[in-house]
Amino acid sequence: MRVLCDLHNHSCLSPCGSLELSPRVLAERAAALGLGLVALTDHNSALNCPAFAENARRAGLAALYGAEATTSEEVHVLCLFGRVEEALGFGRFLAEHAPPFPHDARLFGDQAVVDADENVLELVEERWLVAALDLDFGGLCAAAASRGALVVPAHVDRSANGAFAQLGFLPEASYDAVEALGPLDAERALGRRVITGSDAHHPEQVGRRAFALDLEEGWMFADGSVDLEALRRALGRAGPGR
Amino acid sequence: MNIGDIPSVLPCALAQGSYEDRPLSGGFAGDLLSDVMGKAKADAVLVTVQAHRNTIAVASLAGLAAVVVCHGRPVPEEMLDAARDEGVAVFVTDLDPFEASGRLWAALNGRA
Repeated sequence: MRVLCDLHNHSCLSPCGSLELSPRVLAERAAALGLGLVALTDHNSALNCPAFAENARRAGLAALYGAEATTSEEVHVLCLFGRVEEALGFGRFLAEHAPPFPHDARLFGDQAVVDADENVLELVEERWLVAALDLDFGGLCAAAASRGALVVPAHVDRSANGAFAQLGFLPEASYDAVEALGPLDAERALGRRVITGSDAHHPEQVGRRAFALDLEEGWMFADGSVDLEALRRALGRAGPGR
Repeated sequence: MNIGDIPSVLPCALAQGSYEDRPLSGGFAGDLLSDVMGKAKADAVLVTVQAHRNTIAVASLAGLAAVVVCHGRPVPEEMLDAARDEGVAVFVTDLDPFEASGRLWAALNGRA
């Protein structure tokens, strides 16, 4: 079946994300737009994924949970999991590799952890979530892949925080697909499927760059979580050990 | 050397001129914001190719006086808005970071 997917979205946890874009708004807008599979990928944190999971369930939306990690070279990489607990565990791993740069909400914006009904549970203040981790591009991709994540370098062709701009090229590493803003030669994507992502930071940006993917029967498990191996096959990637 | 002397040291355009003129303590060249945040000194001028809003947020955190954007990169409006709010001067030069840094270093160290 053909499914409209959007694997790159922020919420009010990302300091650059609008406070209006709660996990609830993300799920509701995505469902209203006819999207079938949506990921929440805040900067270096998965703390809003539980709220997103509940709202995705309510909206009848298949979901992926993860983060947009910032490598030491300041390249952004989407790391996606089928289950919330996996994403939260990966988020704790990222926190261990985060620098102690304090957060200044006035300069960067609030980092709000919310529940499914948009109540603020916590304002993350001990660190600026976007700051570069002490993991380089290859190391971050390998760490995410070894935890079972679907790994996608984000906006590789963007002037800020894309692999081409930060590194000069896209190095070979453990990733499954490549997200780009514009058309990309297969050669520059190192043979990976090139996908688009909305990178929504505001409610009206949800779904702006969704892409269609042909998924086989049974791409969701009985508990409603997404089978990442089915997703990999649909993206043209082989299974573990790729 | 003051912030306002930068245009006499290297060919550049003033992109954001709402700032309080004061002496520069030195300079810092870097495109990794984490580097800038951790290592740049207050009242220095930042030479970079990173032209976006977070450049200004990091400059403010580090107490930087000015930002010189190299390669004539377009500066987005939201970066200029942030710079205006924070009183950080923004200049745009067609020079590369090596050339721009060299000229600023020479002027700051009396070798111009």
